[in-house]
Amino acid sequence: MNALLEKSDQIQREFDEALAQANDRDELERVRIRFLSRHGLVAQLFEQLKEIPSEEKPSVGKALNILKARTLERFHEKKRTLERPPGDVGKEVDLTLPGRPRPIGTRHPITQTIDEIRQIFASMGFSIAYGPEIESDYYNFEALNFPPDHPARDMQDTFFLSKGKKVLLRTHTSPVQIRTMERQRPPVREIMPGRVYRNEAVSARSLVSFHQIEGLYVDRGVTFSELKGTLVAFAHQFYGKDVQYRFRPTFFPFTEPSADMHISCFLCKGKGCRMCKYGGWLEILGAGMVHPHVFKYVGYDPEKYSGFAFGMGIERIASLRYGVDDIRMFYENDVRFLRQF
Amino acid sequence: MKISHSWLKEYIRFSLSPPQLAARLSMLGLEVERYENSGAKYEKFVVGHVLERSKHPHADRLSVCRVDVGAEVLQIVCGAPNVAAGQKVAVGLPGATVPRDQHDPQGRPFVLQRTAIRGVESQGMICSEYELDLGDDRDGILILDEKAKVGRKLADHLGLNDVQYEVEITANRGDWLSHIGVAREMQVLTGRRAALPKIRLKESRITTASQAKVHILDPKRCRRYAARVVRGIRVGPSPIWLQNRLSAIGIRSINNVVDITNYVMMETGQPVHAFDYDQLAGRTIRVRCADEGETFVTLDGKQRILRSDILMICDAEKHVAIAGVMGGANSEISAETTNVLIESANFEPSNIRRTSKYLGMSTDASQRFERGVDIEMAPYAADRVAQLLMEIAGGEVLKGVIDFYPRKLKQAIITLRPSRANELLGTRISDQQMVRFLRRLNLRLTKRSKNLLEFEVPTYRLDLEEEIDLIEELARVYGYNNIETETRTTIEFSKPIVTRTVHDEIRTYLSGAGFQEILGFSLIPPPKVDFPSIRAVEVLNPVTSEAAVLRTSLLHSALPVAKHNWAHGERDLRLYEIGTVFSRRNGSNGDKDEELESYAEEERLLILLSGRTAKPQFNAGSREVDLFDLKGEIEALLSKFNLDKYRFISYDSATALIESALAVEINGTYAGLLGKLAKSVAERFDIEDEVFVSELNLELIEQAHQREKKYRALPRFPSVKRDLAFVVDSSISHERIESAIRAAGEGFISELLLFDLYVGEQVGPGKKSLAYALKFQPYEKTMTDAEADALVKKIVRAVEEGCGARLRSE
Repeated sequence: MNALLEKSDQIQREFDEALAQANDRDELERVRIRFLSRHGLVAQLFEQLKEIPSEEKPSVGKALNILKARTLERFHEKKRTLERPPGDVGKEVDLTLPGRPRPIGTRHPITQTIDEIRQIFASMGFSIAYGPEIESDYYNFEALNFPPDHPARDMQDTFFLSKGKKVLLRTHTSPVQIRTMERQRPPVREIMPGRVYRNEAVSARSLVSFHQIEGLYVDRGVTFSELKGTLVAFAHQFYGKDVQYRFRPTFFPFTEPSADMHISCFLCKGKGCRMCKYGGWLEILGAGMVHPHVFKYVGYDPEKYSGFAFGMGIERIASLRYGVDDIRMFYENDVRFLRQF
Repeated sequence: MKISHSWLKEYIRFSLSPPQLAARLSMLGLEVERYENSGAKYEKFVVGHVLERSKHPHADRLSVCRVDVGAEVLQIVCGAPNVAAGQKVAVGLPGATVPRDQHDPQGRPFVLQRTAIRGVESQGMICSEYELDLGDDRDGILILDEKAKVGRKLADHLGLNDVQYEVEITANRGDWLSHIGVAREMQVLTGRRAALPKIRLKESRITTASQAKVHILDPKRCRRYAARVVRGIRVGPSPIWLQNRLSAIGIRSINNVVDITNYVMMETGQPVHAFDYDQLAGRTIRVRCADEGETFVTLDGKQRILRSDILMICDAEKHVAIAGVMGGANSEISAETTNVLIESANFEPSNIRRTSKYLGMSTDASQRFERGVDIEMAPYAADRVAQLLMEIAGGEVLKGVIDFYPRKLKQAIITLRPSRANELLGTRISDQQMVRFLRRLNLRLTKRSKNLLEFEVPTYRLDLEEEIDLIEELARVYGYNNIETETRTTIEFSKPIVTRTVHDEIRTYLSGAGFQEILGFSLIPPPKVDFPSIRAVEVLNPVTSEAAVLRTSLLHSALPVAKHNWAHGERDLRLYEIGTVFSRRNGSNGDKDEELESYAEEERLLILLSGRTAKPQFNAGSREVDLFDLKGEIEALLSKFNLDKYRFISYDSATALIESALAVEINGTYAGLLGKLAKSVAERFDIEDEVFVSELNLELIEQAHQREKKYRALPRFPSVKRDLAFVVDSSISHERIESAIRAAGEGFISELLLFDLYVGEQVGPGKKSLAYALKFQPYEKTMTDAEADALVKKIVRAVEEGCGARLRSE
């Protein structure tokens, strides 16, 4: 057997003995210097490794490495024992003691809801786009086929920023549709989340500012049937496979035909409860085929292209989903509330 | 708006039950929000016959009656002075809910019970009009007509058993604002035709034209004006059936004349106004715009200030009504009125809308006119009012209608390409089916060729203008839910699909690092303090002063959040928000208010720290957070996203909001601040704790963020570690020493750690000691001890010379 290996064993034994006898930090430090310092006994063994025949080097080197690792490990273990707080007397560690705490953060529930919806549409090939919150009358209304002095403008109470009412806070995310189509040629497949503003009294069910997510798909030959298919696929992903759905005619100036989509209430399974106002259905989004007038505003040929758009209110979706009765909770930002998500 | 079930039956035959009708109208887009049976609340009220009335033995004002209610004879104690034997009365049976309590100041309902009143048993209640919520008379009991059948349900007797639908009318369908409009829509459901009643008039020999003149001076705003005169009427209460019809849909009965005009409006959708003919100077109607600043008192007694674009109905001398909005007090129907002039006109929608907005008056009439009223309905409605006046108020109808209608409406013709409709809907509806579907909406096929169908649009469908409108109608009649659902999987790869942004990465990182994301309101109260030279954007029509200004800094919305949490015992906060701030661009003044470019938006990231680093736990350190906790977080964040292209600059001119501030520069551009919230600001927000905040421009982070990553070879040679401690004047900054070390380190310094900072006796006054652990990393070859020593020497000399330092000896 190699002499170096014997020496290694011996050092191991001496180290164990010395370590066992070290009862305070000073004694422990002396053990460290004797065995583990830069010129200590273990280091010296490594020095001697240079002198042995090269065919033995790998096996001996490996043994020395093990020695080094073991001595270090035991040294640190002993060090921890000596440094243990005075209250901890026994050799046994109480493993029920709490771990050292780390702060926990979460994303806001509204952000989480947007992210989840985005991801579903991303999997269908939708990109993400954003637009400004301060908008012009043109993008918010005119190009979306809201004629001036038309009662349709009353559908959305508006905050105005300029006396001439040309600059306003956008009332929906639909102006991003116009901006997106102005920027690119079809095919367009975009999802557009953001904040919107409505000049309404604040209550448990309505806020002056909330989030919407808008979707737009324009290409050759896009049909109403496909609008349904896409939104049903979304609803099945987001609300579950068993959910029932229906589409109902409604009116939006910028789509025609326009529809509201309802799903069977996921709380009562359609039997009727407070959340669905005992109707068994929940309205989850508005949608429709892009109106030819809108295409004309952005310079698309309505004979060549067709498309659909949809939009949904995030606060409503989140409050239904999480059972939050008062949507003001989302903006109070009570950390005890936020941590639940 | 409310629609009555029984009223609809006047115009169309149907057997749908209320729930069926509600559901099916909703599926056509005429949303029924709810419906209720107005007779339901009279469930336990019946017609009674007072057989006998005697005095109450213990109370002078009370009487004891024996009342036959059909099934039995009840003993009822009654306090009304007008009760008498032989009367037919409304009797509430035990268990009935009396709609209004006469003795309760608020008139709340109560449940009737068998009871003893002053020692005499009372087995029911004879009710007043007030108690039944049928009117305001509370002085005595309601006396029913003699022919009323004893024991019959009161609701049946009074014709109150009806169902009302509360419907939500979309902005495009003004034609639904009437019973005939809803009945026409029901043609789709029933296949039967809806129709208005035929007019039967007995006209006098005197002509209307000889007794009244109509001059339209503004035919653009007044497109049609039909007038009739009815003489010798008696103004009085309306018959019960008319009162019931109106009250069922929430309209108060005023008198027979006004009630008839309201009835006809709710029947036809055509607003009608009745003037007191004798109050019209010169027996003349003139329609023209007001003069700027004129005043006018409307029916509701309020004085209105007019504008020159407001269309007025005038007589020979004065204004008598605001066209399409409201009549005037000076010509309203009074108890003395005997002759009336009926106006049934058609006004231009957008003008009515502007007037209604300007005056803040939204009336049943203005709501209909601004959505567009069927111009062909005007003479019918005038005739209908005349007929009802004749029947109900006993008038003499003068011969003929004055009908000013200079530009006859051309009925719209729309061409439909069946192939186009099927292409857009994804359906295979045959041409025949299309014709059949549209016929149910009164669209008449006028021409048919190979690929074209041409339809004439009924005059009340002002929303149908072009092909796409017909395609929507087809889809509605066909049924949205009968259209198949289909998905294509033609994902377009010609453009990159961008789904993840730097925002997402920052959120993931910060939430992982224990920060809580918040979302603040961007509309805030006017800020008490602000960054200098920033002009906030104000909302011109705020609902509340709490949401009147757009935030110029995320701090404005985040500080109240911090305060809220402290108030609820949560002091240790680690918050962040990604949000938008707003301002007016520099140099933009009044004349650029209408331009979008003079408003600026910027996305920011806010980080807020307060309280302790952690909850105190026996095995973990806990202390109050300080500026360097925040600085460390920012450093970590920026290193992650910017690969070291940032630096901090001491910010001497502390802003009003933040003190001991550092500016952050990213790629040489100012990106924001970090520091401690100024005490003066904290006080204004009632904040006692120290708060550390940083607000950074997200766009700069995004631009600097390197998405493309490139591998750099790992070092093949061991690194060398050396520790150095310097004593310097306390005015010398760490930053200066660090840059001296790095400059002298010839690119070998891969790690520099300040592991000790000491001020005190051992270094003497005015001095401090900074100890650094350095790591040298050679890339070409192993660094020998001698080389390392030489490098250390060089560094020491550089720091000594550059910073006036001396090496601290061990």
